[in-house]
Amino acid sequence: MPVVGYLCPESPELFASRLEAFRQGLAEAGFVEGRNVTIDFRWANGQYSRLPALAAELVARNVAVIVAPGGAPVALAAKATGTTKTIVFEMGGDPVQLRVVDSLSRPGGNITGVSSLSVDVSPKRLELMRDLLPAATRLAVVANPTSPTAESQLQKLHAAAETLRVQLQILNASKEEEFESVFAAVAKDAASGLVFTSDPYFAFRSARLAALAMKYRAPAITQTRDFPKAGGLMSYGGDFMQSHRRAGIYAGRVLLGEKPSDLPVQLVTKVELVVNLTAAKLLGHPFSAAVVAGADEVIE
Amino acid sequence: MIPQDRFRGLFHKYLIALFLAVAIPLAFNGVTEAWFGYRDQRARLDQWLGVQSASAAAEIHDFIHGITSQLGWLVQLPWTDEPDERRRTDALRLLRQAPAIASLTLLDSNGLERLYISRIGLNRIESRTNRSADPALVGAKADQVWFSDVSYYRGSEPYITVAIVGNRPAVGAVVAEVNLKLIWDVISAIKVGKTGFAFVLDRSGRLIAHPDISLVLRGAEEATSGPFRAMRDAIGPKAGFATSQDAQGQYVAASAAPVQGPDWTVVVAQPLSEAYAPIYGALWRTAAFLAISTMLAGILAYALADRMTEPIKLLEEGTERIGAGSFDHRISIHTGDELQRLANSFNKMAAELALAQQHQERIAKLKRFLAPQVADLVDRAGDDSLLDGRRTEVVVVFCDLRGFTAFSAGASPEDVMNVLSEYYEDLGRVIAKFEATLINFSGDGLMVLVNAPVPVDEPALRAIDLAVDMQKKVQALIAGWRSLGYHVGFGIGLASGPATVGRIGYKDRLDYTAIGSVVNLAARLCASAADKEILVDAKVAADVKGKRPVEDLGDRAIKGFDKAIPVFGISFDAL
Repeated sequence: MPVVGYLCPESPELFASRLEAFRQGLAEAGFVEGRNVTIDFRWANGQYSRLPALAAELVARNVAVIVAPGGAPVALAAKATGTTKTIVFEMGGDPVQLRVVDSLSRPGGNITGVSSLSVDVSPKRLELMRDLLPAATRLAVVANPTSPTAESQLQKLHAAAETLRVQLQILNASKEEEFESVFAAVAKDAASGLVFTSDPYFAFRSARLAALAMKYRAPAITQTRDFPKAGGLMSYGGDFMQSHRRAGIYAGRVLLGEKPSDLPVQLVTKVELVVNLTAAKLLGHPFSAAVVAGADEVIE
Repeated sequence: MIPQDRFRGLFHKYLIALFLAVAIPLAFNGVTEAWFGYRDQRARLDQWLGVQSASAAAEIHDFIHGITSQLGWLVQLPWTDEPDERRRTDALRLLRQAPAIASLTLLDSNGLERLYISRIGLNRIESRTNRSADPALVGAKADQVWFSDVSYYRGSEPYITVAIVGNRPAVGAVVAEVNLKLIWDVISAIKVGKTGFAFVLDRSGRLIAHPDISLVLRGAEEATSGPFRAMRDAIGPKAGFATSQDAQGQYVAASAAPVQGPDWTVVVAQPLSEAYAPIYGALWRTAAFLAISTMLAGILAYALADRMTEPIKLLEEGTERIGAGSFDHRISIHTGDELQRLANSFNKMAAELALAQQHQERIAKLKRFLAPQVADLVDRAGDDSLLDGRRTEVVVVFCDLRGFTAFSAGASPEDVMNVLSEYYEDLGRVIAKFEATLINFSGDGLMVLVNAPVPVDEPALRAIDLAVDMQKKVQALIAGWRSLGYHVGFGIGLASGPATVGRIGYKDRLDYTAIGSVVNLAARLCASAADKEILVDAKVAADVKGKRPVEDLGDRAIKGFDKAIPVFGISFDAL
């Protein structure tokens, strides 16, 4: 029975929905865990610094394919091991820009995967926040300085801010303990809102972020639908169900013998907007009719 | 040629003829059926693939048409100079409804950009950029709906630009970027048989939709699109399907249909192994049928040939045995046909041959002592009772050569045998002529019987005539011999009286004989007779008196008889 090495940056609890989507994709390619495939998991439980060691562990094991889902740091950690085994990534960033692959259509080497476009749409989040707070002159952007995509996202956000005629206040957070101070900083300025850059560390802590947003009554937008679902205001980003499912399909196709170089990097087509009307009411910033009409999901 | 070889030759001829008689129509039938089946199936496949490609094209058309009709909602109302918040809402709603649309640009009647909404990039409201020269707008103004060529975003994702104008210039136009990757949902849902598939090529033959999305993402590359374009070109503009090879070199049957509007081509392809499966199935069935039929034909031909040649073999063997003399052999054939009749004829012939042989053998036996005509007479009587022992009146004739012993002692064996040969030759003719019965001969003497076994009229007279004839013939011979220096004479003795006659001897060595004093008398008379002399007893003389010149020679003492008995003679010179 072939073994899939699954390198996960988080804990099983936080990753459950993504894993479910991955298993769906694997099943579409004809593989069911326990029946004709085994999955060997490595959990970093949020400690991204452990990823290289865990990746090396998986490489040392007899796995047929290494799946690196949940962001650029995971894909980079897997690639950094220098293994000749096939790596299937799932990330929000641009894999070409991150030098994970040579090109989208011809990834080259032994690595391919799916990108969810979440990183590309950071400026759209700023735009949505600007729409919600037309009076604000300054908006806060939260970035994870340890993220490999942070710099490029901030660059795009600055460009967008110029177009949108708004000033940016850059706040950094790379640990859970730093979240509170970020919200506290914004809470002082009632007119301001928080725009989270795309980052898996933030994405997997949506519940915590939503709780803090409510506590500090700060309008905030993140990349994942988990945030408004947990009581946050809104989210805009790639559909992770789709990206993880497709990663599963690719892992299955690799198990079936296809070469990673024959599998182009897929971009997720669906970017979804989820809004929480209850949160908006609580915060006193109602959405415009246009935003509600364009939302893929509206939570009331 | 030995019989076995002849038999085998006939068997082979029958076997081949019968086998071909059955196998050729079968093979002909099988081949024509296979050929027509193949043609029918091809026609069916052609029709079916045509329907499949048309329905696939319709589905792709529906996808495009769905997008254009949704876009149509954005060009319903005339533009004012004011920003149009409602239109923005409609645009955002449309973006949600149509996931394939990546961005929308709304232009007013002057070709100015009023609204730009994107899923990725920042929106632009009332930028008023002049886009009246945009080919999308120019194209849409000309044709109402305009489609760009397919472009590949970052060399991977296929996009197309669609532009639509409203029904009047005041409502402006909408330009949308459409992500063609979304056709995957449509194309992957199209099933062509079990393993067939459909794909879409743009005007220039680049792959824009295929169930395997990874191929579409490399559609811009010649290596990917080349084989698919080759497939499309193989079909060409003509109606009907074509066979071609897919990217893996697998042979497929493919049919194409155009998608109106963007000028794409939808191709449906089915691996030949599946498309022709019914044909192959039918061919296999035909082949199996032919093989079994041929086998049966062979067995049937063998059985028939065997059935036909077996009686002929029996006939052949039978006739050979009959020919070799086994007349009791019978050919046993019960085929109920001409062969049985032929066998019966042979059997009848064998029976008749057996009878004829028996007859021949009998005649041959009778002719040992009977003149041929007498022998036939006896044979015709049917039984041998005539030859049974009985007592009857007979005339016994003895004759021999005088001085033969002396002659034979002095002459060479060849001369002796020549003399005897001529002598018996003549005597035999005389005996046969008078139908007398030859009893025996030894050396130069012989005994003949008249009136037995077949009675004759006036036996004495006949015996006399026989003797006279003998004497004449032999004297003629003697005259010849004399000239050669052989000195022999010839005398005859006859006597008449009762004697016991019948067959004596054993098995195949049966002779007819007479026993009685009359025999002795005749022998003695012969012994007494001089050359040229015929001596007869009183009874014979009495029987022929007045008919033949018989001379009384007075009583003579005859050896073995107590007293002298009267002897009569017929002089040779008196004849």
